[in-house]
Amino acid sequence: MMPPKHKKHSCESLPTNLPENVINAILMRLPLRDAVRTSILSKQWRYKWCRLPQLTLDDKIWKTTNNLLSPSIKFTNIMYNILTLHSGPITKFTLSMSELKKYPKIDSLIYFLSRNGIEHLVVQFSEWNLYKLPSSFFTCSQLRHLTLQNCLICPPPAFKGFNMLISLELCHVSVSSISLESLISSSPYLENLVLKISDTLSHIQIKAPLKYVPHLTKLSLMYGESYEDSEKCDLDKFLQSFPVLEHLHLEYGSSQFLVADVPRRLSSALNHLKHLYVSVDELDDISCALCLIRSAPYLQTLEVKVSMDESDNEVDEVSASFSDVTLNHLRTVKVEGITCTMLEMQLVKLLLANAPMLVRMLIEPGPYYAYTEAKILAEFTKYQRASPKAEIVVRDY
Amino acid sequence: MAEASSSITEKFFLTLKSSDGDEFVLEESIAIQSITIKNMVEDGCSSSVIPLSKVDTETLIKVIEYMKMHSSTSSNEEEIENFDKKFVSNSINTILNILEAANFLDINNLLELCAEAVANRIKNKTPEAVRKIFNITSDFTPEEEAEIRNETPWAFEGNLDHSLD
Repeated sequence: MMPPKHKKHSCESLPTNLPENVINAILMRLPLRDAVRTSILSKQWRYKWCRLPQLTLDDKIWKTTNNLLSPSIKFTNIMYNILTLHSGPITKFTLSMSELKKYPKIDSLIYFLSRNGIEHLVVQFSEWNLYKLPSSFFTCSQLRHLTLQNCLICPPPAFKGFNMLISLELCHVSVSSISLESLISSSPYLENLVLKISDTLSHIQIKAPLKYVPHLTKLSLMYGESYEDSEKCDLDKFLQSFPVLEHLHLEYGSSQFLVADVPRRLSSALNHLKHLYVSVDELDDISCALCLIRSAPYLQTLEVKVSMDESDNEVDEVSASFSDVTLNHLRTVKVEGITCTMLEMQLVKLLLANAPMLVRMLIEPGPYYAYTEAKILAEFTKYQRASPKAEIVVRDY
Repeated sequence: MAEASSSITEKFFLTLKSSDGDEFVLEESIAIQSITIKNMVEDGCSSSVIPLSKVDTETLIKVIEYMKMHSSTSSNEEEIENFDKKFVSNSINTILNILEAANFLDINNLLELCAEAVANRIKNKTPEAVRKIFNITSDFTPEEEAEIRNETPWAFEGNLDHSLD
């Protein structure tokens, strides 16, 4: 019998000493636990993780059989190791913990980061309880990218904002309207702004007009239910704050929050807007979506998520609104959650008829929709297409 | 007329020489994805052969393959994605060699791609498996090893993977 064949190994031996940069490049792409474990490989690797400028601490850290210790005790030990063993600058730190109910030592960590040149900070917790950011957080003056989830932001009175900020993402944070507005308007270089805010935590109103945000290219808004009595924000004035907007993402409930009186067209066209996502849940939302489509002559991709009941009286409005629109740059359209109501059919029909450069129309039927893909496709392929090369794809999820 | 149109499409070529002495001719516009080569071109040292003493022939072929795919305007995102996926399925030795070459040649995308691939191969592995993958011999005494484990016990707990794939 032949001996079992071993996997062929190349005879050339590896360079035993990888260059410093290469080792760092590998370690920075490992979760912290794996990076720390390389300390035992050899003397060359012993303290490599301690000088990494980027660290990630997420739920993978709990992959352990030692269940005798509670997560907060384990977490305290990990924090202790980072605070005592790490040396040198940390420019990026990701702390993403969904299982932690208490936040031991995190204040010390934030203090540590504030003194070590943090530029990119991600702090994400689950909804157990809000983490109140310590005062040292507000001294991280080098911050360029900031992502916070389930945090309580209470800046001290003297706080002047993070004026180097390029990207700001706030999900389910509690923050006063004044603090939020000052955070945004004190960041002249802001390019990306994401706000996902549920009103159960705080009821923020962004009152238009915001201060001019001259470089903002990406804006994503998601609000929960808005209060009946909350002051509606004026869409037209609100969008005037962002003159070079390229991506606009309006999720569930956000358009209704933004809508007071929707004009037919915005007073200044969104000439830079290339990508638009709108979620249409209510009648107000459809007017808002149509206003945005009409006001964005250079739109390249459009995604519409529909989830509303049949309402035939809006069909006429949809048809009428396209009479003066040609979407000369529109290349891809995605309509999500379609259930073939008159309104949705009309929208698809008009988009097909008014987009001469369209390459792809993707249709995703809603979750409880009974028609087969083939039947939906058969219906849509009957429509006239302005673009001869446009393909229609129906994809089920 | 003919001259004018040819000057528009005129291409410059560079000759790269591997550590094994093999020479490869490559369009300049493709080769300058390497910042190291770009700097040499800008300094005017590209008229003759560019010797790459730290990159062997096998590795250089892979690097050129990568640069061609990533520079050509005709390849779309999907093609590039598929290429990258296949590219990182090379043996770990090959990937480590390419990673070193990418570091030397200063091709950031390639460095990131390979570093990610290496990280994925050693993720959740036992230290013994990682040593074998990297061909490292431990120079610690058993006492020193025990001390390191005690320092950060949370990093060594749990079910770790012994396999080398």
